Amino acid sequence: MPAVELPVQKWPGRIHEVTLGGNGRKKVVVGGEATLPFLHFEGAIPHRPAIAIEVHDRNPAEWAENLRQVWGSALKSPAAWAKKASELGADLIALRLSSAHPENGNTGAEAAKKNVAQVLEAVDLPVIVLGPEVAEKDNEVLMAAAEAARGQRLAIGDCMEKNYRTIAAACIANGHVAIGKTPIEINLAKQLNILISDVGVSRDAILMDPTTGALGYGLEYSYSVMERLRLAGLQGDAMTAMPMICTVGEEAWRQKEARVSEGVPTTWGQAKERAILWEGITAISLLEAGADIVVLRHPRSVELARATIDKLMAGAGQRSA
Amino acid sequence: MSTPSPSSKNFKVAFLPSHQEVEVPIGTTLQEAADRNGISIDLPCGGQGRCGRCRVKVEKGQVSQEDNPHLTPRQREQGWVLSCQAQVASDLVVTVPPPRERARAETSTSRAAATVRLEWPLEPAVRRATLEIPPPTLEDNTSDLERLERAAKEALGIAGLEVSLPLLRELPQALRQGEWRVTAILEGAAGDRARLVDILPGEVKGPLWGMAVDIGTTNVVVYLADMSSGHLRDSASAPNSQASCGEDVISRIIYSLRPEGLKHLQELVIQTLNELLSELAVRNGLATTEIYDMVMAGNTTMSHLFLGIPPRHIREEPYAPAATRFPPTQARELGININPNASVTCLPSVAAYVGGDITSGVVSSGLYKKKELTLFMDVGTNGEIVLGGDDWLMTDACSAGPAFEGAGIASGMRAIKGATEDVRIHSKTLEPTLKVIGDVKPLGICGSGLISALAEMRVTGVVDRAGKINLSYIREAMGKRCRAREGEHGKEFVLAWASESGTGEDIVLSEVDINNLLRAKGAIYAGITIMLRHAGVSPQDINEVLIGGSFGRHIDVEEAIQTGLLPDLPWERFKYLGNTSALGAFQALLSRQARAAIKEVAGRMTYLELIADNSFMEEFTAAAFLPHTDMDRFPSMKNLLREAS
Amino acid sequence: MPLSGIEIYKLLPKSNCKECKFPTCLAFAMKLAQKQAELSACPYVSEEAKQALDAAARPPIRLVTVGANPKSFQVGNEVVLFRHEKTFYHPTALVVRVSDSDSADSIANRVKEATTYTVERVGHNMGLQGIAIQNKSGDKAAFARCAQQVQSLTDLPLMLMASDPGTMEAALEKAAAQKPLLYAATRDNWQPMAALAKKYQCPVAICEPGGLQPLSDLTEQVSKTGVEDIVLDPGVRDFNGSLVSLTQIRRLALKSNFRPLGYPVITFPSEAASSLEEEALLAGQQIAKYASIVVLDHFSPEMVYPLLTLRMNIYTDPQKPIQVTPGVYPFGNPKPTSPLLVTTNFSLTYFSVAGEVESSGFPSWLMVTDTEGLSVLTSWAAGKFDAPKIAKTVKEFKISEMVSHQSLILPGAVAVLRGELEEELSGWKVMVGPRDAVDIGSYLKRSWTS
Repeated sequence: MPAVELPVQKWPGRIHEVTLGGNGRKKVVVGGEATLPFLHFEGAIPHRPAIAIEVHDRNPAEWAENLRQVWGSALKSPAAWAKKASELGADLIALRLSSAHPENGNTGAEAAKKNVAQVLEAVDLPVIVLGPEVAEKDNEVLMAAAEAARGQRLAIGDCMEKNYRTIAAACIANGHVAIGKTPIEINLAKQLNILISDVGVSRDAILMDPTTGALGYGLEYSYSVMERLRLAGLQGDAMTAMPMICTVGEEAWRQKEARVSEGVPTTWGQAKERAILWEGITAISLLEAGADIVVLRHPRSVELARATIDKLMAGAGQRSA
Repeated sequence: MSTPSPSSKNFKVAFLPSHQEVEVPIGTTLQEAADRNGISIDLPCGGQGRCGRCRVKVEKGQVSQEDNPHLTPRQREQGWVLSCQAQVASDLVVTVPPPRERARAETSTSRAAATVRLEWPLEPAVRRATLEIPPPTLEDNTSDLERLERAAKEALGIAGLEVSLPLLRELPQALRQGEWRVTAILEGAAGDRARLVDILPGEVKGPLWGMAVDIGTTNVVVYLADMSSGHLRDSASAPNSQASCGEDVISRIIYSLRPEGLKHLQELVIQTLNELLSELAVRNGLATTEIYDMVMAGNTTMSHLFLGIPPRHIREEPYAPAATRFPPTQARELGININPNASVTCLPSVAAYVGGDITSGVVSSGLYKKKELTLFMDVGTNGEIVLGGDDWLMTDACSAGPAFEGAGIASGMRAIKGATEDVRIHSKTLEPTLKVIGDVKPLGICGSGLISALAEMRVTGVVDRAGKINLSYIREAMGKRCRAREGEHGKEFVLAWASESGTGEDIVLSEVDINNLLRAKGAIYAGITIMLRHAGVSPQDINEVLIGGSFGRHIDVEEAIQTGLLPDLPWERFKYLGNTSALGAFQALLSRQARAAIKEVAGRMTYLELIADNSFMEEFTAAAFLPHTDMDRFPSMKNLLREAS
Repeated sequence: MPLSGIEIYKLLPKSNCKECKFPTCLAFAMKLAQKQAELSACPYVSEEAKQALDAAARPPIRLVTVGANPKSFQVGNEVVLFRHEKTFYHPTALVVRVSDSDSADSIANRVKEATTYTVERVGHNMGLQGIAIQNKSGDKAAFARCAQQVQSLTDLPLMLMASDPGTMEAALEKAAAQKPLLYAATRDNWQPMAALAKKYQCPVAICEPGGLQPLSDLTEQVSKTGVEDIVLDPGVRDFNGSLVSLTQIRRLALKSNFRPLGYPVITFPSEAASSLEEEALLAGQQIAKYASIVVLDHFSPEMVYPLLTLRMNIYTDPQKPIQVTPGVYPFGNPKPTSPLLVTTNFSLTYFSVAGEVESSGFPSWLMVTDTEGLSVLTSWAAGKFDAPKIAKTVKEFKISEMVSHQSLILPGAVAVLRGELEEELSGWKVMVGPRDAVDIGSYLKRSWTS
């Protein structure tokens, strides 16, 4: 009988470890993997992937009713929302400063400072601060946020190809982690990591967001780009070995399958459950492609993702299959 | 520079290959020692030890020097040092390599081409024979034609003779005027049927003229050869007049769709050709009708336009040209002013974007018989790439755009007098130093200058790896006379102020220009990468890189590597070959074997359609960075940047 | 191991005779390497070369067919660990399990539901692949009866699940013609099970939870009896165990060319799940990570629809992006006065535009133009997204009958088409939308007043 020799791959590279929080606040470390996701038999996976819950600095009227109900009155203030998210088991709070968007209030630096301070005050979790994704406004409010939270080691994003210099510089000056976001393309992701590094951000202070495609809406592109980035990082390419963050909730809940309950085919099934699975399957698929942080919206998805991560991390420390 | 102190010792330094010797104090740099001997070593970076181009080889003796990233451990072991850095520490024997080839723009005629070696058995398609023909008698009053045929068969061993009606009309007169001694110009090998090209009374001696033509999108080059001796006698070149109907092949194809457009384009190129012919005829004292054969090499579109074949489908998916093999035709049908009966042969293409200029180059460069893996590139508006050797050949073409020919770049121009061909930027002050063709004030910048500028801007930190100008850094370094600014088309860097230029205006490179360059070089590098992948080999496996085309003559390997246009291989693996297309046409003119080889090569070159390759866009994105997203592919640039920082 | 184009070329005559209809031997070899040509097209290939190529072409993971025509499914024959390396070829079969201890009515309902379930996505219809029948009753006759009942209700392929060979044969006597998958040969029953598989010419699953070595040994024994159509069940059920053992089986087959484990794998996610959602998540993991057949114990559309969508995503050929069927797509019950946006049929372009339109809250029409799967700028550059093409699409789908305002919104990246398009579509107003899909919401808010 032929003998089975279990293939164990030797990976020359390792994913950089990135620490968020600390300095009196809880600390979350992501990255550090020496093998592909959850293949504990092959190499160390020192940190479990983290779950961030998405919180906005304004009441998001455009959110699906299903989501709005479950968060209820917490939606009225970012501090209350963050607090509830913390209670529901978030590892991180992802505060999106959407009120700075020209069409959602166009608030500026002062509001950003205030909101960030309130969230930092309300929870002891590490915080990710995301801009409204309008380049000039991002620069304005993210700079303010970076200064307001000096030393708290936030993750701040997104650095895009157009404006990475300003935000990266603010991260260096105030001791934060920079998030670089690129549109689902492996080379562009790597190029931005290089450019951010060239500005002087150290490798342990960069996260990359390769852009999330939700289930049925480009998931396969994100999935493969992330697998490739992770493989490249493990093969020793330091400029793709950044931990990855995925804005799963935002993308999944943008889609009809998650938002709409009426006027859709009956073959889509029951709306509430479908929405949660839409977010949940997107999250698990991307975790298995290498995501280190998933940003989620629905508490049930958070619960499911947490339980799944527990099970996937269960093999940690064992060295056999 | 060292000042000899009273206690210092002098050493003898001998330079090879000239065997000149000089005595200098300890601590003198080798460059200085050479200079005292009248041996000039170029110092492109002004002796900063930064460009690594002044290297010399220490054959015997000791020098003192610091480690320099421009030298690999192996080179150091072999004794290579930078002459601007290494100091004399004992008696020395030093080899100074010849200055690197940096040919100036060619003037319109060049006899230097006469050094071209044929490397094939001299066996042109056309030959000349003097025939003695028995005059007719009442006993044997067989026709003139039959008498000629009989004589030709007997004397030359041909199987039969084809004579056209116009020549037949001249035959009786020629025979009688020469008193039954005639010179026949025949096309066809012994044993085959031959075609009579011309018949002249008496015995004609002297050169048997033939011409090889390279019809490029931009330039037309004509070689005039003596087919009886196999020598290249003269050459001439001129811009292709079709340029008035579009700079690149695509715009010419579009032009050809107009009513009479195709005819007009054909007339234009033939007019260019005829003008060159007259020039050569006058200069060499011959009548153009004495030219009895012509071979033409051109890209597929040029061949179509030259023959008046509609090129339309070359441009449209799925890019099927009307033909890749072209029927032989005669000069009279095309209106070329050589002998009207002379054959005109267009060398075969492979595909829509790999033409006779490339099949010709594959043979003349010797690629087709290389035992080791070899890469051939011809960089122009399109970059054509061929990989392989004697066993197999793969080819692809990437649409690089005309950036390297100076088009699409605000200050771009062709490599003529006034073009900046080399740029140095000081690593501290960021002040540029330009080298201009003809040593005049710069009018613009040509392909080699663009590559040079891009490499220097990157190495000195003027631009980041995405090709974006780093305004704040330049302002800090340059202060008031800052050469970087926000221009009309985004940020730009001033290479020459209006006061320094020959145009009276600033000569600048903008981010838009740089982006065009990045795309052009990215397309070529991506084309190389994809072909290597299809062949299952890595760049390091390439034994030799042969660079053809006029662009190749001016390109600087090191800078081309620094920008990521060429793969990062040791310099000695790159060879410039000049106009391989014209050379191949020349060889085909003089040797049936060369002609057969080109035909054979065209039949076995395997064309990769990059558009059909889904990884092209990705490779292109990866390569549109300085030098490349994957720095591990450019170890020499990695070392250089590490040192610069 | 598959050979590269150059390696295949070395085996060909190198005569470039073109009789294979390819321009050169190397071009032919490269097509062979991509499995886009047949060796038989070369009349001059040597016997030696044929053998070498056949050996290299032998799939490292066997292709197994379950069921008989007209409805059967094929699994296996995968050649890569990561879909970007080439593609995953045979989509995971989703099979729904019923038990012979359930009531005939509930079985009938479940089978009918699973059989008729079909859901459309970007022009493709997706459904389930089979019904598994579990011998839970322990009763031979009940199992056979159940098999017969299910067979009469569905034309989907069947999977018979019984550990007792006699029970298995009782059902096989009813259902053998449908070439069901037999589950399972184990270390205790493999000889009679293998005999049944051989006798009835059915594929058989081999279940051995003791590790990959015992599984491999058992597979070797079964295959020595002449049974070739095998499906593996490593018996590991939980998230991590399943991921690890399925990864190892795939790696052994592909990287080590280890034949005894070169077969498709089956999983049972519900056996490690505490809820329906968890079953769905584990099934999702297994679709992406190397299961060829996934047996579900629950069937509900809200669970199956996302799984089928995931399967479609993962098994899309990365070289050939999904194209959206050209046409007009409504978002949020649009009216004739609602805005009309135009985009291309590259799936990713469509999805990003559709996503933004959807979340903008504006009921809208989205007209998808056939650009052969290219994105906006690429198709424009290739001449496949120009004014005549857009105008033709507007006419083809009779859009002037759907909207009352006669205006359309062009992607900002192709603003240059505006003038020409207004000429092509006389009476229409062409508006230029944003360059990036993400700005569609704010654009509509700002610009859409009618």
